Amino acid sequence: MAECSFGLIGKGYVILASDTTAGRSIVKMKEDEDKIKALGPNLIMATGGEPGDTIQFAEYVERNLRLYHIRHNHTLRPSSAAAWIRRTLADSLRSRNPYSVNLILGGYDHTTSTPNLYWIDYLGTMVDVPFAAHGYGAYFALSTLDRYHDPEAPLEEGLETLRKCVREVEKRLIVSLGKFKVKIIDRNGMREIDL
Amino acid sequence: MSIMEYNGGSVLAMKGKNCVAIASDLRLGNQAMTVATNFEKVFPVTDCLYLGLAGLASDVITLRERFRFRVNMYTIKEERQIEPATFAQLVSSTLYEKRFGPYFVEPVIAGISKKTGEPFIAATDLIGCLNFAKDFVVCGTASDKLFGVAEGLWEPDLEPEDLFETISQTLMNAVDRDAFSGWGAIVHVITPEKVITRTLKARMD
Amino acid sequence: MADGAGSGGAYSFSLTTFNPSGKLVQIEHALAAVSQGTTSLGIKASNGIVIATEKKASSILIDDSMIEKVSIICPNIGIVYSGMGPDFRVLVGKARKSAQAYWKMYGEYPPAKVLAQEIATVMQEATQSGGVRPFGVSLLVAGWDDHRGPSLYQIDPSGSFWAWKASAIGKNMVNAKTFLEKRYHDDISLEDAIHTALLTLKEGFEGQMTEKTLEIGVITVPQDNVLKMKDGRPVPTFRKLTQEEIKDYL
Repeated sequence: MAECSFGLIGKGYVILASDTTAGRSIVKMKEDEDKIKALGPNLIMATGGEPGDTIQFAEYVERNLRLYHIRHNHTLRPSSAAAWIRRTLADSLRSRNPYSVNLILGGYDHTTSTPNLYWIDYLGTMVDVPFAAHGYGAYFALSTLDRYHDPEAPLEEGLETLRKCVREVEKRLIVSLGKFKVKIIDRNGMREIDL
Repeated sequence: MSIMEYNGGSVLAMKGKNCVAIASDLRLGNQAMTVATNFEKVFPVTDCLYLGLAGLASDVITLRERFRFRVNMYTIKEERQIEPATFAQLVSSTLYEKRFGPYFVEPVIAGISKKTGEPFIAATDLIGCLNFAKDFVVCGTASDKLFGVAEGLWEPDLEPEDLFETISQTLMNAVDRDAFSGWGAIVHVITPEKVITRTLKARMD
Repeated sequence: MADGAGSGGAYSFSLTTFNPSGKLVQIEHALAAVSQGTTSLGIKASNGIVIATEKKASSILIDDSMIEKVSIICPNIGIVYSGMGPDFRVLVGKARKSAQAYWKMYGEYPPAKVLAQEIATVMQEATQSGGVRPFGVSLLVAGWDDHRGPSLYQIDPSGSFWAWKASAIGKNMVNAKTFLEKRYHDDISLEDAIHTALLTLKEGFEGQMTEKTLEIGVITVPQDNVLKMKDGRPVPTFRKLTQEEIKDYL
């Protein structure tokens, strides 16, 4: 599971970053895999874990949130979507074959005009955080984020903090994770950028 | 590696004179790695009854939701607030329902009876075996340390402010000796009139 | 169209179908069955409740010690019925089970209202499910709990239920209720209520009124309105009067 994703909140935005490697055993199969799924106009999710499960689960969540949007004529708020996703994973954990998926969920809540970030793991643990990381990279990035993260930072400063995290992982993690894909969500919706 | 210690965290409740206090730390971890320092483990049930849950964080959230559901149903059906002793039975039977595939949590209950004004504390193990105590109850990864400090600091008939000081010192000194608990704490002191809630600055390392 | 089920017409086939005038005729028939049953009544007093019924065996050869018309559900609740005995037995079974399930969940017995509602739900289900008929009984539920104090409920075959200060069901219920309206006052004591109950039953009693042809149950409100415990068990607030006790009241 040599994969890694980060998320951090800044002033009016959330950034999610994830590695782009798809591998099996010791073989690298792909180096442009998009592991950050757009779940709606104001919600994105970085996934990691068991390769088949991640895609299946991300699509399952996406379809259900879309269904909610169609049925009720408005999208679920990030906090409610997070609660639903958490409950789905918690129920799945005690089922016959549970999903092994770890998530970072980023969204912009238009009702409160705040960016939201949730750290969720395959056990159904959920917590809202100012910054988050999954995978081996977390062991390096969390210290970097502890030192440099500022929830009031403008976008360019947030991206610089993220660059620091990626550099730290490139420097200290024994395996190379390749390029990182970065997506931003704010009041204008979602966009992808090059780091 | 035990599931009960996977996320870390501790909860403690104490009885005073016409008051009770319940407190938890704020850490959420993945084994030794700290993920968040804002994870509260104590939740209001009624305006004078609180429930603390230490153990697997996923089950802490699931059970908080389940008890909220069950207590809401009770309140609507019976047109009254649930009493602490009745709620303790509800906690016990809810956990025992899953006797052979349990939730990995140890609940702590603290409240004041609306009917008699009696302070009430109780704790159960993960399958719902109730323990009614007249002094204090502890649970979580720092429970052994909590027992030690509480045994030394607690005394009967403490007034709300003194009870706050006692429970705060007990919790902070115990979690400082536990790598899996700490990173700040939250304390609720429940009196018949009001609930005093304070967050504590503790050692953040 | 062929007239299927007796005189009820086409709408008496399925009890879950409204007839054109908006009635479920099977429920009306069930109420008719109740009004043929022996009279039962309940009176709420200031310090308790009495429920009583006439018990008559269809033959002198029947051992009347076997017949039970007033039943204990749990230590704080008792019920009496008018209508069909077998249907009552089924409801008693369900009510007792429900009370024990409540005890298992909360470590205490249900308040009277919760139990009355539970029984009423069972009876309502029989008016909306397929392949069943409504219960042919009306019930009087007497209970005490520390939330509402003593309370008396009546449940009908339709599943509706109300709280009463005093009520009567079964044969002569109209007369009995008129009688109770005249006799009832808010600060009646339990002793007076028992006598009033016997007096009311006496109005339309068939045959001799003796300790063998009566059944009486009482709720006694515990001191200070607080449930007493003995050896870890609640002291019952509902009990049935023995034949000797009934004899003393006659």
